[in-house]
Amino acid sequence: MSRRRTAALPTPVALLFLLPAAALFAVFVLYPMATALTYSLFSWRGTAQDAFVGLDNFVALFTTEPYATQLPRAFGHNALLFAGAMVVQNSVGLLLAYALHHRGRLRRLFQVLYTMPYLVSPLVVGYLWSLLLSPLFGPVNAALRAVGLDAVAQPWLGDPDSALWVVVLVTAWQWVGFPLLVYGAALGALDPAIEEAAMLDGATSRQRFWHVTLPLLMPVIGTVSVLTFIFSMEAFPIPYALGGSSGSPAGATDVMSLLFYRTAFHSGASNAIGISSAVAIVLFLVIVGISVLFTQWFRRVERRLT
Amino acid sequence: MSRRKTLATAAAALVALTLGACAPSADSPEPGAAAGEGCDGDAVALDVWSWRTEDVKTYEQIFDVFEQANPCITVSFQAHLNTEYDQILRTGLTGSDGPDIAQVRSYGLLQPLVEGGNLQPLEDVVPALADFDDATLDGSRGREDGAVYGVPLASQTIQVYYNTAIFEEHGLEEPESWDDFIALNDTLLDHDVTPLAVGARDGWFVPTVHDALTAAQYGGADFQQALRDGETDFTDPAYVDSIQTLADLQQYMPDDVTGVPYTDAQVLFTSEQAAMFAGGSYELAFFQDANPDLDLGVFQVPPPPGSALDHPVSAGYADGSWGLSAGTEHPEEAETLLNWLATPEFGQLVADELKQFSPIPGVEFSDPLQQEMWDLYQENPAPYLLLVDYRYGDPVGTDLMGEAGQKLFLGDTDAEGAADVIQDGLSAWWTPGE
Repeated sequence: MSRRRTAALPTPVALLFLLPAAALFAVFVLYPMATALTYSLFSWRGTAQDAFVGLDNFVALFTTEPYATQLPRAFGHNALLFAGAMVVQNSVGLLLAYALHHRGRLRRLFQVLYTMPYLVSPLVVGYLWSLLLSPLFGPVNAALRAVGLDAVAQPWLGDPDSALWVVVLVTAWQWVGFPLLVYGAALGALDPAIEEAAMLDGATSRQRFWHVTLPLLMPVIGTVSVLTFIFSMEAFPIPYALGGSSGSPAGATDVMSLLFYRTAFHSGASNAIGISSAVAIVLFLVIVGISVLFTQWFRRVERRLT
Repeated sequence: MSRRKTLATAAAALVALTLGACAPSADSPEPGAAAGEGCDGDAVALDVWSWRTEDVKTYEQIFDVFEQANPCITVSFQAHLNTEYDQILRTGLTGSDGPDIAQVRSYGLLQPLVEGGNLQPLEDVVPALADFDDATLDGSRGREDGAVYGVPLASQTIQVYYNTAIFEEHGLEEPESWDDFIALNDTLLDHDVTPLAVGARDGWFVPTVHDALTAAQYGGADFQQALRDGETDFTDPAYVDSIQTLADLQQYMPDDVTGVPYTDAQVLFTSEQAAMFAGGSYELAFFQDANPDLDLGVFQVPPPPGSALDHPVSAGYADGSWGLSAGTEHPEEAETLLNWLATPEFGQLVADELKQFSPIPGVEFSDPLQQEMWDLYQENPAPYLLLVDYRYGDPVGTDLMGEAGQKLFLGDTDAEGAADVIQDGLSAWWTPGE
């Protein structure tokens, strides 16, 4: 491949212009990450750095209580949040985008409506839903009872079996606009001639969706999935608003970020900074590692389909 | 534009950007702040930090009183968001731009600052500390050296509030015995009034309710001492019995109690749909504010038959104190202010203006209900056990009781199982007798 020179700026000047952004990136992203890594390799006495302990904090994280129980539990909940988001949020988003694709005038209106919750702080969304779902004063149960669905009314956030799915649904309610917009844009960019050709060949609308449109959307589905994975792993404000810092009820909504929050700022342990930094590093490695694997897998799927 | 000129412009832009980033922020302390009347020379500005954003105006008025008496010292009071305060304070005290005096947390959450050497021990700095109640000072002690690192600011007590109008309507009175207590709960339930406004969805609220209802049953301070001496642990039959009592009382709480948020329990009580609320003294201001027509009373729950204690108790704890930064640039002035924060004059202002229990000896409370709660606590004090002694590691005792209590209310475990959750959790960092 031949190296293209930028017409406007010679390379040294271009690099110079990159410098401010690079400096900001280094100070606000690289430096904190490196700090967290070094913090996790030391033991701490309160706010004072103590001795270099190598990987001891990580070993403690995986072998001593309460972390040995809470870490896998929290990670499992993050995985369920991701699975739930893929099933509910992204598939609904895709279906809505597909349904709106052919509706010229109403498309804008619905796109705006579905994207609105996106603009509200997730912490606020969490508290709003916590009010709506309250068994005492919540309008959700009141409405269900009013139409005779007493059996469906339940303590949504008070039952460990339903609480995590409430988190999934509230998250989906807020973020469904994201896949909707991305898929909508991707659908708009597809060449209509391809679908016309399929139509002329006699493909039904279902066949056209599964065998023509969906494969063409694969690159975008891959991107949305990886981003959804990252969001699900980092979920904090909505679980915090719905279940508090300990993941009520009885740890049923505990996630990795809450575990980090508790170990870092809610614990009386002397080595809180060391352990919580280790949690942060583990979370970071999981996110990076699985995101890379995901991306590679999706590239292979794309190649097979196209 | 020539290449050289472009380079020069770019370099200039970069320098401007970098300088901009380094400019001091607007809220840095100004040296030589305006001196008050009667001060020759420059005044010293002291930075005081707090997590009480809601009290900024009141604190400024309170510190005006100090500034009038000490014209050469000005107090710059800054409050940070409660949930972010601990992080900000840790950074502030380890860096160069921190406070001279700061509100610090109590018990376990104070330890990171003590161990990090960010605070100064105060017994020699503030002689008035010798007059404080020992149990109150425990909240400000370093775990390892036992020195006091804060001037206690506020105490909280835990008891049961009741709606006197509802009690009168059903011919009920403050219970004198456990049987009275159960009988009045049954009466209320028969009349479709929720007896106890409890919300167990917020785990932190469960241990508060447990201690409000059963601290006397497991033995209060005696049990605390037995744990400290290593004579027992949380699987002790008395403690298991107290958890069983909590389970037995669930029938008097709202349905699906693990789904009810703490705030809904507050509303249930202030909207007069529930008759009693087991909670801390910090609720009083909110209750009176939310419903000014609410007629309130307080009582201590009488212990059930077979309890460790034969009299009811109020659980209590120290809630925050004033710490002195180890890195202050104005030690003399900071010590003057800190000593004033230990005077009855300041304590009375905290009681009158902030409606908080100042633990400073000699302070009186103008609100009769506040005075009654304080008197009940002084008569029969008990520790808010899981907060006072069991927040020195991870997991903290109050979180464990939250989880255990939720499992208990859900029917996922029994009283023994709940006690095991607490004991097993604490055994990660605590051995009885150490």
